[in-house]
Amino acid sequence: MFGEQQRFMLFLIAPAALLLGLFQVVPIVIGANASFRDWALYNPKKTWVGLDHYKAVITDPAFLEVVLPNTFIFMILSVAGALALGLGLALLLNRPFRGQKIVQTVLMVPLMVAPVIAAIMMRWMFNDQFGIVNAVLEGLGLEGQPWLVERWSAFGIIVLTDVWLWTPWFTLLLLAGLQSLPKEPFEAAAIDGTSAWRVFSHLTLPMLQPVIVVCVVIRAIDAFRTFDIVWTLTGGGPGRSTELFSLYAYVLAFLNLDLGRGSAAAIVGGLIILVVGIGLYRLVDRVTKT
Amino acid sequence: MAMVRTPLMFGRLPLGGRRLLFALALTGICLAFAFPVLWLILTSLRPESGVYYVHRGTEFTLASFAEVLQDDRLLQAFFNSALISTLATIFSLLVTVSSGYMLSRFRGPAAQTWFGTIYVFRCVPYISWVLPLYFVAQSWGIYDTYIGLLLPHIAVHICFFSWLMKGFFDGIDPSMEHAALIDGCTRWGAFIRVALPSAIPAISALAVLCWLFTWNEFLFALILTGNKVPVITVVMAQFVTEMGLRWNLMAATAVMALVPAFLLALFGQKYVIRGLRI
Repeated sequence: MFGEQQRFMLFLIAPAALLLGLFQVVPIVIGANASFRDWALYNPKKTWVGLDHYKAVITDPAFLEVVLPNTFIFMILSVAGALALGLGLALLLNRPFRGQKIVQTVLMVPLMVAPVIAAIMMRWMFNDQFGIVNAVLEGLGLEGQPWLVERWSAFGIIVLTDVWLWTPWFTLLLLAGLQSLPKEPFEAAAIDGTSAWRVFSHLTLPMLQPVIVVCVVIRAIDAFRTFDIVWTLTGGGPGRSTELFSLYAYVLAFLNLDLGRGSAAAIVGGLIILVVGIGLYRLVDRVTKT
Repeated sequence: MAMVRTPLMFGRLPLGGRRLLFALALTGICLAFAFPVLWLILTSLRPESGVYYVHRGTEFTLASFAEVLQDDRLLQAFFNSALISTLATIFSLLVTVSSGYMLSRFRGPAAQTWFGTIYVFRCVPYISWVLPLYFVAQSWGIYDTYIGLLLPHIAVHICFFSWLMKGFFDGIDPSMEHAALIDGCTRWGAFIRVALPSAIPAISALAVLCWLFTWNEFLFALILTGNKVPVITVVMAQFVTEMGLRWNLMAATAVMALVPAFLLALFGQKYVIRGLRI
């Protein structure tokens, strides 16, 4: 039925496709089915309820006014923060100097740390009674803050943790990008006595743009599904004010035990990021082609 | 030195001052990134009574580690995490290397469809398929078992790693494989005996990354396991709520969970950097 080459191609992807089908496609289909039903533990009949769960989710003030803004603000702040810091560091490190290997090794540290552990560290450092941050503040004569008890400071610490975790990743990728740029334009600019800022904005940045865009797209998509650090740092609190989308779906399904509505929330979030992801893919396509 | 002068802020200072500022900036940056981990290690070495004033006092002890090591559940979690990470690494490489090879070496609708599928599923947030996977795992009877945790861990890397592997194979000249085919080698022979050996560095990079990702993963285990298969990240997250005040034990556990990842990264640093560079 197939040619020899087709059979070879099929065999190469068959195991991957099978696993993908069984553990991602099948669950998504079953989740979609559950999202139209009253799929809770106390209702063994799993009554068909149509779009009720979707209506409930997209009209839920907690979802519209807290979770969605939180998720997008988190995505923008954490990607922008890590990109700005990472780019700055990459520019700083893009020259030969003694101890380069040591600096690079130290910068690798956050990449090895599990998000759960990073969150635990931050929770300890920002502990209101015994944390080092408040100890330092009090040593300076300032007042310690109940960091994780107020919405925006807690949210800030979640962003900070994420930026700490991901800045090194940006640094390494952008440094690799910088080192692969052609040298001649920079030498010409140096001969012309171009100011450092103009070199950066007219040469470095445009030439680095494809790498930056790819990094931002990958990180933005991953930032959207952040769960571990929020769960461990604040558990979505105080109240539900720092919940991100993944946590919202988890809470609905496993703490409120409403699996139908949780599935609906998971699908709504999946659709949102799919739209964002396709838009970003177009962007990459356009940037890398020009 | 034929180096490119990109940084801007030290331009007007004399050379000595510039060097000093550069060194200071670097030290500050290194400290900022290492500090949370150093602080965690320091906390883990403080006795129970001193843990609330880590910055004061000079007594140090390994008692917290000794106490933590007596906890059976924790030891089991370490063992499970190591086992799952190792198995997931082996199997996901087996599966994704060939899929990446296909993406790199073939054009046409089949390859394009597979690439599109992979990109779309790469974007799907974990919660959107792990949450319903909870029903699936229960109805297949694999909830809270090794296999029920292992298979999703293999599945999750298919998209990203096939994509990375495609990039690696793109960088390897296919003419050797063509030559092997002309010499009478089968397609499988060309793939396994010619292409695979030149991809070993890339495969090592993915192996290190895969092990780290699996070791650090939290959400899957939280949803797909109960009490029978504890893994280290879930046990630690429970500690935060259960032993909220015993930070020395918390820190000791976290330090122990960091050690395998750090060792792997230290020895595989070259590979990790290459892997992260896409």
